Amino acid sequence: MVSPRTIRNLKREWRNNWLAKIGVALVVAILLVAVFAPLLAPYNPRSQSLEDSRLPPMGFTETENSTSSQFVNGSVQVVSERTTVNATWDHPLGTNQLGQDMLSRVIYGARTSLLVGALGTLLAMLIGVPIGLVAGYYRGRVDDALMRFADVMLAFPSLVLAVALVGLWQQAVWRIPDPFVAAGLAPSMPPDIVLPGTVIVVVGLVTWVWFARVARGEALSVREEEYVKAARSLGASDAFVIRKHVLPNSVTPILVLGTIQVAAIILLESALSYLGFSGTSLSWGFDINQGRDYLATAWWIATVPGLAIVLAVIGINLVGDWLRDALDPGLGGEGGSGA
Amino acid sequence: MSYGRFLLKRVLQGILVVWGVITVVFLLRFITPGSPVDFVAPQDASQELRQRIAAELGLNEPLYVQYVDYLVGLLNGDMGYSYIFGQEASAIVFGKLPATVELAVAATVVAVVLSIPLGVVSATRRHQPADYGATTFSLLGISTPNFWLGIMLLLVLAVQIDLFPVGRRGIAFSTAFWMLFEGNVSGMQTWLAHITLPALTLGTYFTALITRLTRSGMLDELGKSYVQAARAKGIPETLVRYRHALRNTLIPVITVVGLQLGTLIGGAVITEQVFNWPGLGQQVISAVNNRDWPVLQGSLIVIGTGFVLVNIVVDSLYAYLDPRVIE
Amino acid sequence: MTGESVDRRSFLKLAGGAAATAALAGCTGDDGGNGSGGDGNGTGGGGNQSTGGDQGTELPEPETREEYLQRANLLLHDQAPWIFLNRQYSVYGKSNRIEWEARRDERIDAYEIVPQEGTGVRITQSQMDSGLDPHDHRETTTDNIVLQSYEGLLGRDADGNIVEVLADGYERVEDGTVRFTIRQGVTFHSGEELTPADVAFSINRIVDDEVGGLVSPQSDQLSGVTGAEVVDGERAVDVSSDGINPIVFSLFASYCDIVQQSWIEENEGPFINSNMNGTGPFQLDSYEQDVSVSYTRYEDYWREPAPAETLEITAAGESSTRVNQLLGGETDIIVNVPPQDAGRVQENGNTELSPVPSTRVIYNAMVYNAEPFDSVEFRQAMNYAIDLPSIIENILAGFADPTGQPTLEGFVGYNSDVGPYESDPERAQQLVEDSGYAGAEITLHTPVGRYLGDLEIAQAVAGQIDELPNVSASVRQREFGTLAEELLDGDISTGPSFYLIGWGNATFDASQTIIPLLTTDGALTSYSNEEVDGLIDQAQSMAGEGAGSGDESGGTTEGGNSSGNSSN
Repeated sequence: MVSPRTIRNLKREWRNNWLAKIGVALVVAILLVAVFAPLLAPYNPRSQSLEDSRLPPMGFTETENSTSSQFVNGSVQVVSERTTVNATWDHPLGTNQLGQDMLSRVIYGARTSLLVGALGTLLAMLIGVPIGLVAGYYRGRVDDALMRFADVMLAFPSLVLAVALVGLWQQAVWRIPDPFVAAGLAPSMPPDIVLPGTVIVVVGLVTWVWFARVARGEALSVREEEYVKAARSLGASDAFVIRKHVLPNSVTPILVLGTIQVAAIILLESALSYLGFSGTSLSWGFDINQGRDYLATAWWIATVPGLAIVLAVIGINLVGDWLRDALDPGLGGEGGSGA
Repeated sequence: MSYGRFLLKRVLQGILVVWGVITVVFLLRFITPGSPVDFVAPQDASQELRQRIAAELGLNEPLYVQYVDYLVGLLNGDMGYSYIFGQEASAIVFGKLPATVELAVAATVVAVVLSIPLGVVSATRRHQPADYGATTFSLLGISTPNFWLGIMLLLVLAVQIDLFPVGRRGIAFSTAFWMLFEGNVSGMQTWLAHITLPALTLGTYFTALITRLTRSGMLDELGKSYVQAARAKGIPETLVRYRHALRNTLIPVITVVGLQLGTLIGGAVITEQVFNWPGLGQQVISAVNNRDWPVLQGSLIVIGTGFVLVNIVVDSLYAYLDPRVIE
Repeated sequence: MTGESVDRRSFLKLAGGAAATAALAGCTGDDGGNGSGGDGNGTGGGGNQSTGGDQGTELPEPETREEYLQRANLLLHDQAPWIFLNRQYSVYGKSNRIEWEARRDERIDAYEIVPQEGTGVRITQSQMDSGLDPHDHRETTTDNIVLQSYEGLLGRDADGNIVEVLADGYERVEDGTVRFTIRQGVTFHSGEELTPADVAFSINRIVDDEVGGLVSPQSDQLSGVTGAEVVDGERAVDVSSDGINPIVFSLFASYCDIVQQSWIEENEGPFINSNMNGTGPFQLDSYEQDVSVSYTRYEDYWREPAPAETLEITAAGESSTRVNQLLGGETDIIVNVPPQDAGRVQENGNTELSPVPSTRVIYNAMVYNAEPFDSVEFRQAMNYAIDLPSIIENILAGFADPTGQPTLEGFVGYNSDVGPYESDPERAQQLVEDSGYAGAEITLHTPVGRYLGDLEIAQAVAGQIDELPNVSASVRQREFGTLAEELLDGDISTGPSFYLIGWGNATFDASQTIIPLLTTDGALTSYSNEEVDGLIDQAQSMAGEGAGSGDESGGTTEGGNSSGNSSN
């Protein structure tokens, strides 16, 4: 599956490619943050303190017109006063409108993004790869039918279809106990990892086509290889040939596509959360949505999580570029279904 | 195969796909929990009234009858009546279409105008500052969620410095266009002022994508033997680059752009939401939230059909530029 | 629960004219006090205040309709079917180019807008209409669009008093019948004159599914009304109701827009939904579905023509977009200025805030037969767990008033002796222990952007409950449409058991909040209690002060009554 030549290519591309190094560093960093979120986050990302709301990030001072109202003689009087709010090291990235710590929320948001990205991609692979392999291997009618169906799916922009499906179906939420909290290492943190189940299923359903196309392409070319023909003439079953020969040969391009798709699905998830179709409130897109109403008064609420998305997606895209350049799976510019 | 036959085949395929789109959209309602009656009936509706409404909506018919009715309706341009607005769904959907098309076309223009020069410069000045600049831009462009970009543009250009108007379409392009004939440019100015930020927001991802494709395509082509040979023959470098290399680069770029058009329309949905742009995207979201099935189905079918149409055009263009694909 | 209530009822019977409300509180197992703001005993018929203790002071039997309603409010405070939150304010932003006073009932009457510069006015709402048929919607946003062109028989002034509009007289003929005389010289925008037949048709189109080609979702807004007919030989219409219908004039002051019979009958639904032919001060100029509605003033209006010559209503769903449009001079009035932007609007120099307490109460329903909310201790604990003043100050910037009963201050039936629950987390924790539901996990469903600060309020409430060591709470964001569908489908078990919602009641009468939300058969109910049902039945069988006798006096005070509500 992963031949020594592949490893050599990867190494060669690695040496003179500082972009690849940045990408891997970013991805590793975000993975660590996501895994060890309960240990790294300074606060429970959900715990709020209304008195400390809308503190700016370190390095910034915010002047705000705080307004209050009083009911006097049957009409409402508005009182406005100007106050200066200073940043504090207690909340290096500031706090949101509920006084929740932005840093902790960004850290926990990494979990949601990566889990949805990884599980969504996995699901898309599990649907798309077998369909593509079968279509490419058998060609003919099966291929036509499956590929026309793929064309139909492609005709719906993934975000549009995802909005429709997530909006129309019930939000299923999967809760997984957080191992760190269960082990007593981070008692004040949220006890469960909340996974937006419907979102994961839907992003898988709207992106599998890309995997089907790539797998089909590989199967089409592999079936013409001499050793495959030989195996078939020796009486090997179709299932055997697909499993033993066609699939292993498709692994590289599928992995490369999978990497890019994780980035695309992170963007898709954030778009869905932004539009309010989110299964969890610990999501970068959700926080951007929240910050939208505070652009003029607390710009960081929408800005900080957006930067986190950009960093994560850049990291994954750089790794994808590296894999593609090193392995040259002939994907061209195909794939990707960014929001 | 002649070009004509190729076109015919492509169109027939397209019709097949559109039929598939319609079928999927039709079936969507049957894999969704809840009945449309809950949204249509008054809250204190009696059981008989609910029955009557269900009958009026044709919900009591067997599946295949509803399906055939729906297909026949579509052929007559009838998408049913909006559950919410009490108007023909087709009037609503086609009323919203121009705003989305305007936005998508403007974004494509932005993307094409910016990206191809960027890609070419980047490829021909490899490892120079211009290349690094273009590469960084395109990496950022494909990695930035466009709704966030839109919000940031609003924050900086509309809220902090009051350069652009916020949150309205202002004027329809067609209106502005006719005003031009009366010698009135103010309509066009209004249109431009309102569409600039949304078009930039929506166009950025595409600009970045095409820049990357153009750059890598150009690098490939410039390394090929026919380019070396042309140079050896003393053909001027500009001619080599733009007549030969760029042309060969653009052919595959067009295909990818066609395939990625879905991304553009998907992006339009969310860009419309950010900029309060009254297009199909907003309509889809509100139809989903209101379970306004006729409008939702109509919108999805129009979006899907639009995608198929554009791809037929792209493929025809491709085949025209590079007749080898016809075989 | 049910068994206990029955016991209480038998006790009430045994006690004859006097019932111990403390016993009601007592059934909560409350360890002494009760959650209400004051401990003083109510005086006269005004307030009925429970005091602590299992066998506390006996309260006198209510005598008037208002006293029954007040008793119901007291009972509901103690039973805590809701987490009582706030009275919402309508916070408008307006430019200095216009003069205008905000109304309490969330309606924007463009006739009252006086432009100071130019002649046109633009209003930006949170969303557009759902079609222009005046009888085929229920949302305030649509009301604000159609009511510039359509008018009702009666109306309300800015303070909520009933005034005559298309009727120039109204009286009660007998228990189930009231008569409206129809104003002379009123024309529809089509140019034709308003007739009594048009009025009767309009009423029947709403209450009768067979009339006017429409099953109107407004039939319950004219609750009790069964039909209308023209009085022979007179310019008048008789409206009949089931029973006394004490609030019938109030209903017509808030609802029932008058349309022209021939215009409705000659046109198809899509046309009626994209055109308007009313008697109001503005006539439709152009309609762009879901984008904008433009009007010009109607020069032949039966009153003085409107001060503004043109009017345009548009919408922006994002509050920040609306604020920026106002600050940028692109619009004259915006709705729902979020608290955090209030300072920008007020300090801008060209714009100002125009806040007014609305008739909408924001609350968290706790469905009475779902665990853990079937325990009254648990429900009370939820009320003690939150810090309402902090939520109002920090999230809503003071643009809200705390509540402790379903009915808002100034309404008929408001019990002035009942205050909000105090914030008392320790007591909340104890009550949760007593309820037997320690360790409960609850999820609060909330719409987003529907009410001022809705999501933030829900998050704060859930956050504060979550801080109790023995309850964990989280928030689930819901699309308003789907949430409303689950709540309205008539089956209490299909919806969420814990949700935030706001109820607007433009009638200034407690019954129109309590009946739909808190009685056993209410359309949107989350609660069932025989005593509440009984008190309300009693109240509704009695004529109110305004409706029973004061009909001919035309406008009544706030103490009169009125009805109308919407969950939007």
